[in-house]
Amino acid sequence: MFPQVPDQHKNGKPLVPNGLGVLYVLFTTVYLFVLYFISENTLFPSGISAPLTLAVCVLFGGFMGLLDDWMDIKWRYKAFMPLIAALPLIYFAIAMNARTSITLPFIGFVDFGVWYFYIIIPLIVMIVTNAVNMLGGFNGLETICPVIVFIGLMSISALTSYHYLLMVGPIIFWLILTMLNLQGKIFVGNSGSFAIGMSIAAFAIIADVKIGLLVSMIPYIFNSSLILLTVFVTRKKALINFKDNKLESDHKRSLVTAITYHRPLTERKIVMIISAIIAVFTLAAFIYSCISFFI
Amino acid sequence: MSKGQTNGLESLRKRFKVNHSTILVVSALILILFVAFSVRILPMRWEIPTGQIHLNEFDPYYQFSLTSYMVDNGLFSPYTGHWVNYQQWYPQGLDMSRSLPALPMTAAALYTAISFLGINVDLMAFCSVLTVVLGTLSCLILYFIGKDVGGRAVGLFAALSLALAPSFLQRSSLGFFDTELPGMIGLLFFILFFLRSIDPKHSLRGSLIYSIGAALSLAYFITGWGAAYYVLGLTALFAFILVVLKRSDKRLLTSYGIAMGLSLLIAIQFPQIGYSYLTTAPILAVIGVFIIMLINEFARNKVSVKTLTLATVAVIIVMLVSIIPLAYSGYVGEIAGKFITVINPSIRASTPLIASVAEHKITAWGNLYMELGISAIFFLTGLYFVLKNPTNRNVFLLLFGITGLYFGASMVRLLVIFAPAFGLFVGIGIVGMLKPFMAMFKETPNAAAKAQRKLLRVSKEYSGLGILFIFILLMTQFAFTPQTGGMPRAVAGAYAPTSISSAALPIIPSEPMPQWLNMLNYVNSELKSTDVVVAWWDYGYWLSVSGNVTTLADNATINSTQIENLGFIYMADEKSSLKMLSTYGQKNVRHILVFTVLIVYQDEYGNYKSGAWGFGDEGKWAWMADISGGAKDRLIQEGFMDADNAWAGRNDFGYTLDQWVWNEQGKDSVIYKLLADIENEFSMSTYGLVEPLYGESVNLDYFKLEYLSGNGAEIALNPYGSTIVPLVGLYSIDWDAYNAAN
Repeated sequence: MFPQVPDQHKNGKPLVPNGLGVLYVLFTTVYLFVLYFISENTLFPSGISAPLTLAVCVLFGGFMGLLDDWMDIKWRYKAFMPLIAALPLIYFAIAMNARTSITLPFIGFVDFGVWYFYIIIPLIVMIVTNAVNMLGGFNGLETICPVIVFIGLMSISALTSYHYLLMVGPIIFWLILTMLNLQGKIFVGNSGSFAIGMSIAAFAIIADVKIGLLVSMIPYIFNSSLILLTVFVTRKKALINFKDNKLESDHKRSLVTAITYHRPLTERKIVMIISAIIAVFTLAAFIYSCISFFI
Repeated sequence: MSKGQTNGLESLRKRFKVNHSTILVVSALILILFVAFSVRILPMRWEIPTGQIHLNEFDPYYQFSLTSYMVDNGLFSPYTGHWVNYQQWYPQGLDMSRSLPALPMTAAALYTAISFLGINVDLMAFCSVLTVVLGTLSCLILYFIGKDVGGRAVGLFAALSLALAPSFLQRSSLGFFDTELPGMIGLLFFILFFLRSIDPKHSLRGSLIYSIGAALSLAYFITGWGAAYYVLGLTALFAFILVVLKRSDKRLLTSYGIAMGLSLLIAIQFPQIGYSYLTTAPILAVIGVFIIMLINEFARNKVSVKTLTLATVAVIIVMLVSIIPLAYSGYVGEIAGKFITVINPSIRASTPLIASVAEHKITAWGNLYMELGISAIFFLTGLYFVLKNPTNRNVFLLLFGITGLYFGASMVRLLVIFAPAFGLFVGIGIVGMLKPFMAMFKETPNAAAKAQRKLLRVSKEYSGLGILFIFILLMTQFAFTPQTGGMPRAVAGAYAPTSISSAALPIIPSEPMPQWLNMLNYVNSELKSTDVVVAWWDYGYWLSVSGNVTTLADNATINSTQIENLGFIYMADEKSSLKMLSTYGQKNVRHILVFTVLIVYQDEYGNYKSGAWGFGDEGKWAWMADISGGAKDRLIQEGFMDADNAWAGRNDFGYTLDQWVWNEQGKDSVIYKLLADIENEFSMSTYGLVEPLYGESVNLDYFKLEYLSGNGAEIALNPYGSTIVPLVGLYSIDWDAYNAAN
């Protein structure tokens, strides 16, 4: 049923089914609809539906990825397309009178006021969705890293609300995809990476875990910034050489190439190192949130 | 069976042979129309218990009075007989022959026709249901426009989008018998016929017939809704752009000439439109474009492009040079104030009379999102597909979409004009996005999808996922809408009673709220039709049409001086107020009405307290103060105000400290005293269970409560939450006491 693509980092480049992220989108949609029906006016305040808002965003992210898988959307469009999914989130935040401030480490309290709704939320959606999509290409990388961030965000959210329930089912399902992806049996494709990126952004806004998101996403933002700056300044793309089951690079144009710079590593090892970096930042975000909450 | 008979049956079978896709499309269309009708009829649930189907909001009562007059006296009677309704805008009356005829004439003609067939229904119920029928018909017309634009699928999606568009739904649901309906029908028929008339695939004869159809539709629009300036301007702009793009031809010239010329010729026969309509700036622009097209046509192939451009520029300059002095000298008719304010919405803020009307407000971001929802994605992709293929038809659509969005964003009420444009673009967007998936779905399995990344095998099922995603996205748009808490947004918008059955409150009660209905029944049975009941202008139509009494002002807002005086009557002290009322004649002006809405709740000690909810005169007094304060100089000059107690606006009557606090002048005003008195009366009617809001008794010198609709005995207080209590009080004026004291 699914399109098949060659696994570039395996000997013989075996064909692997791609785009299984659509299953995550479908499962998440069904889960959120069920949650909406069973939790109406009990877990989540009535008026604007948090599960349905999240479902719309995930659906749009998945659809965008599906289009990209099919039509190879140009980056200049792809970068800004997630802005559309910011619409329901802006409406949600305004209607639910969301907190417009954030307390940043070393900086302190910052209140964005109305700019939070019209500038910050679209920026969060655009940056997070694209950043998650840009960190991939290895078995497990595009699946395990988002799940680490998500577990962190859900833990932070559990301190103050029931919003973590929104993602319990989808994350379990994503973990199954992660297992298969790690084994090199499937790829989630753009439909998966855009959908999970959109899920992270939307969940962070709905559950109001902005600071957790900001800290957890630092490695992602670092990776995207490195790639974009290199492309815009030197007009060169990040490349990696595959030899004897190991990957190595001779430049530092992305997080992956920075890790493998003149240091041949297996695909599994690269994934583990990056996952560990993300886990450290996510843990830092959780500890910071706990301190803020209890103090 | 003979051979001839066999051939006959065969030809009959062939004649009625329809393929499966046609059956599917017709079924889907019927379903969409059924949904459109059902959703619009939902408010009926509150009307049945009242024993009558009412009209919604206020303006529809004006249209109803015209319809009723036409049914009784003939279709053209308000115009030929120059009907002045003296029950409105006492004492000068309201010249009903200045009314737009399309809607009341349509209703009166159809009502007469069904009466002729022996079907007897109440006229108000008929008018109320007619809105639902016309709203559903609009969806059908949009289907045909969409079908012409991008095929049957686009037509279906466009019709569905319009059927459930909140702005149009609200204005075509049960009882919304107002000008937007003929406007929408006229607009859609005009677009359908005009676009067909300029389509080269139709014969010249067909083109002429469609042009005449477009002209009749446009005439219906002009005589139905003041917003016709929009479509006239839109068409002129479209024709002008085609001239600039060098796409203008004889067919366009003929269609444009017939559509504009014939429609204006018909429309100006009605007094409300009149010959002065031809000298308004937008119509002069329409004529100007026609001249440019004529020059362009004559000059074709005979003069250079440079000369043609110069001639066009010259015509524009001549038009401007002639219009500006004419406009300054008053020869060029102005566009109605509120339509100028659409182009420049900032003007509205400086005009309290326009700003005080909710439907004239600038569309808030939230309103726009409620209207568009996540379909905004498809609207944008629709714009992209239309831009990619700029045919003449698509140029028109593009202008329709962009200008419609601007107008809709400028004024809440005009979102209704944007709704069909939005539906068309959504249809184009969805079909455009579905195309690649559909193509793959139909092609052989294992087709290559994306060569760059070397996708080798793609199955039909996978392409079906794209279609499924779009379907679920649409489902969240129409069926489980996040922004309305999961309730379908159409139901959230339409499942509400008519204003009069909810006592003019923006709530959805489980049962009809009878306070206003009872008051109207009271004045209808106890007062004479010549008795003047003073009330804020919002309720003028209800009182004059349903209550059958005479009023000083209503939503027609034809006399701003009288509205200023009305504001003064409520905001002044009793003596000054009655001095003003005396000028209208003590013989007929014998009653004043006040409407307030309380919210009753229990405090932490279990005592019932009440607060002002803001949807009655307890909220509207601020506009009364602002509007009368705006006429301060005139009122001082005429001796009604003196410099010491004159006011400029609401802030002269108190200040805000957590909540509004009335000052001495405020507490001396008629509106404060009436509100406090009616609230005290309510408190007493609960045997003191509910503590009075204002906390003190007021002494009314010249007003005496005659009838209170909504007393405590009728209302079951909610001990666990709050209870909304609407109160409508009718006070009689004690002229004897006033005359004795003055």
